[in-house]
Amino acid sequence: TLCHPSVPPPVWVRARVRRLLSGAGQGSPHSLPAPPARLPYVPHVPPMALLGKVTATTFALERPRCVFDGHADASDSVWLAVAFANASAAFRNPCSRADVPPYKQLPTARSYMTLETAAAAYSCSAASPPVLRVGGDTACRDQGRQDPCNGPLPSPGPYRVKFLLMGCRGPKAETRWSEPILLRRAASPSTIDPAPARRGSDVVVIASILASLGAVLATTVLGALGAKAWGSLCHQDLGTDAFTRRSYRTHHIPPALPQPLPPSCGCSPPGLCRSA
Amino acid sequence: MAKSDDCVYILQGLLVFGNVVIGMCGIALTAECIYFVSNPHGLYPLLKATENNDIYAAAWIGIFVGLALFALSILGIIGVIKASRTLLLVYIILMLITFAFEMASCITAATHRDSLTPGLFLKQMLERYQKSEPANNSDNEVTMTWDELMIKNHCCGVLGPSDWQEYTSAFRLTHNDADYPWPRKCCVLDAQGLPVNLDGCKLGVPGYYNSNGCYDAISGPVNTHAWGVAWFGFAILCWTFCVLLGTMFYWSGIEY
Repeated sequence: TLCHPSVPPPVWVRARVRRLLSGAGQGSPHSLPAPPARLPYVPHVPPMALLGKVTATTFALERPRCVFDGHADASDSVWLAVAFANASAAFRNPCSRADVPPYKQLPTARSYMTLETAAAAYSCSAASPPVLRVGGDTACRDQGRQDPCNGPLPSPGPYRVKFLLMGCRGPKAETRWSEPILLRRAASPSTIDPAPARRGSDVVVIASILASLGAVLATTVLGALGAKAWGSLCHQDLGTDAFTRRSYRTHHIPPALPQPLPPSCGCSPPGLCRSA
Repeated sequence: MAKSDDCVYILQGLLVFGNVVIGMCGIALTAECIYFVSNPHGLYPLLKATENNDIYAAAWIGIFVGLALFALSILGIIGVIKASRTLLLVYIILMLITFAFEMASCITAATHRDSLTPGLFLKQMLERYQKSEPANNSDNEVTMTWDELMIKNHCCGVLGPSDWQEYTSAFRLTHNDADYPWPRKCCVLDAQGLPVNLDGCKLGVPGYYNSNGCYDAISGPVNTHAWGVAWFGFAILCWTFCVLLGTMFYWSGIEY
């Protein structure tokens, strides 16, 4: 795609452009810069397991390696263009560094560019962390600087990104747009239901067994007390049980007198009986 | 008769043995409940904040029930040996009251342990951790308890650091998402208490942050506490039930 300056050129420049385009203007030193080379690389979120690769206001991208070799000079820089997914088709590459849409225009322009890095950082031989974090700089958001600001993203998106290699004369190469990246949305904690899924069986066991034991004990005590009270009220002899009771407070019982023998045989020592 | 003497001696022996066991178990119950009440794992502020500290009430009841069981077992031994109806009647009635209290304690501990779900702690943590205007002192205690818990057990959140991402929280109101996807205490800290690699921690690179949740560290001690009170108390009560039945049988056999 051709670059579009942010300030439209005056009328006479536009007329000359039309004349050049209608003619065979390729290769002429006064022609417009060539459209940027379209690289097949697609930016994507890193596949490795990183818990913070997509948060509510930031996301991470895999660093492209060896992508711009062959197109980049030493003085070129690589930018990251971020746009809302439904505004990516309307994005126009800036013609120069001054035309780069800044971070604070994101709500209105629906896109911005950030992460200006020297092209050497993306070369094959560069040793650098494998992940780029978009939205990680909270300091530049509040100061309103004009520098490229990697500020946190204001809404969950979805967003699409592409890398743009910018030279002195404008964009030289661009990658393809990424798949839409949707950021996390946080729910309110009032949606959490703290109630247990079901009552544990332990509680039922303990409660039922203990309740039955308590009921048996209470019944036994009341029954025993009631029986004693009934017995003492009615003066009944309760008789002997199968279990013979033993009392430890012995009562002093005088020994019983021997019963007199029946008068049929009047002799006291046996064997010495004489008929009267 | 000799046989009935033997039966009585056996019954007396069993009752004395039963009361000795009750006395020892009472001491053990008191010791165990004192241990739980002394808050060895520092989890009491969390439970108090959820208004779910009835297992502590159950432990307090357990302390006094244990002492009562010990005292009553001595009374019971004396009453059985002297075959005194009065002593044994007092013993039975007081034991029934203690039985009722211990029953309440067991059922309370068992019921409230069930209600300590991950959702309960998650909701409390999200609403109170690092609350900027703490309504009362318990919010500060909740924050301090969570910080100590996360540092000591190398854990983060209730189920994991993603708790802070999935839900909004009081923490999120004062700490923006880009700088603090999760609290700093979730990062692996060095000896000075600073994160070893802050960018790695923010990105979630394994090794620079604590990825497991703290729920196991909370529920382990709390479960031990609740089951210790509930099941041990239940076992004591079953034994006490048998001893009480034997004592009542013995009591009814003593003549005036």
